[in-house]
Amino acid sequence: MVVWNKIAGSPTNKRSGRSMAACLLVLSALAGGLLCELPAAQAAGFAAVAARSTPEPDADSATAAAARKANKKCLACHSRPRFKALEDGEKLPLEVAAEDYNHSAHGGISCVSCHTAIANIRHPSKSTNISIASRRGFSLEMNGVCRDCHEEKYTQYKTSIHASLVAEGDDKAPVCTDCHSAHAVESMAVYEPVTGLPCKKCHADIYEAYSGSVHGLARKNGNVIRAAHIQAPICADCHTAHAVTALASNGHLRSTCTGCHDGVARKHDKWLPNAGLHLEVVACVACHAPASERRVDFELLSGAVKTAGKEGDTNLVQQRLLQLEGSGKSLDSAELWSLVRESKKRGQSTEVTLRGRLEVSSGPEAHRLASSMSAVRDCTSCHRAGAQPFQNVMISIRQPDGRDRHYKADKATLNSVESVESVGGFYALGGTRIKLLDHLLVFALIGGLAVPVGHFTAGRIIRKHRDKGDK
Amino acid sequence: MSTIYADNGYFAKRRKTREQDELYINPLPVRVWHWINALGFVLLILTGVQLRYMELFNAMSFEAAVKLHNWVGFAVIANYFVWLGYYLTSDRIKVYHPELDVRKFFERAWKQARYYGYGIFKGERSPHHVRPYDKFNPMQSISYQIIMLLVVPVQFATGLMMWDVKRFQQWIDVFGGIRVIDTIHVLIFIVFVFFILVHAYMGMLGKRPSTHFKEMFTGYEEPEDPQAD
Repeated sequence: MVVWNKIAGSPTNKRSGRSMAACLLVLSALAGGLLCELPAAQAAGFAAVAARSTPEPDADSATAAAARKANKKCLACHSRPRFKALEDGEKLPLEVAAEDYNHSAHGGISCVSCHTAIANIRHPSKSTNISIASRRGFSLEMNGVCRDCHEEKYTQYKTSIHASLVAEGDDKAPVCTDCHSAHAVESMAVYEPVTGLPCKKCHADIYEAYSGSVHGLARKNGNVIRAAHIQAPICADCHTAHAVTALASNGHLRSTCTGCHDGVARKHDKWLPNAGLHLEVVACVACHAPASERRVDFELLSGAVKTAGKEGDTNLVQQRLLQLEGSGKSLDSAELWSLVRESKKRGQSTEVTLRGRLEVSSGPEAHRLASSMSAVRDCTSCHRAGAQPFQNVMISIRQPDGRDRHYKADKATLNSVESVESVGGFYALGGTRIKLLDHLLVFALIGGLAVPVGHFTAGRIIRKHRDKGDK
Repeated sequence: MSTIYADNGYFAKRRKTREQDELYINPLPVRVWHWINALGFVLLILTGVQLRYMELFNAMSFEAAVKLHNWVGFAVIANYFVWLGYYLTSDRIKVYHPELDVRKFFERAWKQARYYGYGIFKGERSPHHVRPYDKFNPMQSISYQIIMLLVVPVQFATGLMMWDVKRFQQWIDVFGGIRVIDTIHVLIFIVFVFFILVHAYMGMLGKRPSTHFKEMFTGYEEPEDPQAD
């Protein structure tokens, strides 16, 4: 559970409210600020500069008052339904809900502080008409404006999976205003209740899973956990609000769990053999989301320092994996062994290794966390032949954007003698045992019985013949 | 020969004691070690099989099997030091001295193998005569040297590493990972399964099937039948 006071009351989150507000302002400028008249816009621009240097942008200060006054001129036009034709044929609504904007976190900031493109031109004017290619293009173009005031949050955002997707050209990947809205910028408190917004807009399946989880239910039921001193986490508490990372990688989420759940190692150590190893190799959710489907994930690491590989060496492996994927095949143990051995031949600096972990098979599965009373405690869920987690094996390679790319591997990889070297660091007693050793044990048993039986029988036969001879 | 000791005089008694000394092959520490070790090995094999084949056997829970396997494992390791301590502080360590003359070793080993494969069926006497400072035949000697000084310690080491993987992670990595360690542990376990079956059978090849077993409890070798020659 999350000690909510630590989260909601942190300076970071206070700032994030402001940063959201700034982002909204930028978007509002993008969407609706093009119709302000030049003198008013210029005046408001000065006010905006002053407002940026003010710690409380919505404070009832002189600069805020000036901005509000200037904004009235913009809103005179932009509070009415208006549209701008875009180059892609779509129409961009230019209407801004004046009431919402004025009461938003950015209410004391002038429109042109974000909509800088119209700050120094006559507006509106056909001669200085600004052409906009598309709504998405405009949002992307204006996204950097948020940085002017919210440098820290913007920098965090740039390291996120969201920013990586944007950079890759994903049209659905969020920019600042997709979460914070363009004009009705609100404080974090608005997102605090269990509405799931804004994450739910894109991650509805995950949010649904979360809603039914021990965290989601606790939150929905008023967070009455341990006399209300503890509050269950919502999306950003685990994933962070801006530096949203690729999940389930680098043990990121495990450290998030242990950040609130004290004494995890001690509690598991009481009953779980090799507790430290389990906590390292098995994702928390693999046991604490008991209904989830699990899988083995081999993360490809490269180099002597065993960091997630990005260049050359892993590319060679990745090329082969892509070839196999293209032909609809999965990587088998012989091929995997060959790939690892080849990398070793090239020298220590390019050596690749595979770090195995037990994960859940999808994002929604990872959010179906149950009460600790319901967590998997039966060792045979993994430690027996044919256990479910070992029916699905993936090889994952970290991409430059921080996400993992998954490739299918043959599940027989886990039980093959050819995997002793390639996946030497991953082994679940009973569950991933090497089949050849089973055959050897049978031979040893047969041999161990055949020697006495054979020797005894030979003795009887020889004595019989000898006795006949004597007679 | 036995008639010599038939009188009741003082010297006869002494002579009898001397003869008994000559037959006192397995001193108490060796016998204690042997039977604890035997019990330990059987328990380790049974719990090991349970751990490895949960889908086939259900004698106990996985958790219980792990605990028992670990405790018995430590008991067997401690017991090993009873054996080691005794032999390192006793002149009886000579029984483990290797035969350095290779030709002589192979000649004697061949004779012994021939005896087990053929001579024993004809009622011949074993070419090796058991004595307190020479109790192993050449085949036993080489086998026990390898088992006690190499195989058993490796089994202990791999078992320890798997008992607490994180504690021994650096060593485990040196050998290539936990899968490598487990493979070695299981291979040796398979060898022991074969060994125990054959060892128990060969224990029954004495004068009577129970002879060698009794000897391993009393410490005294039963006098050879002078008529056997």
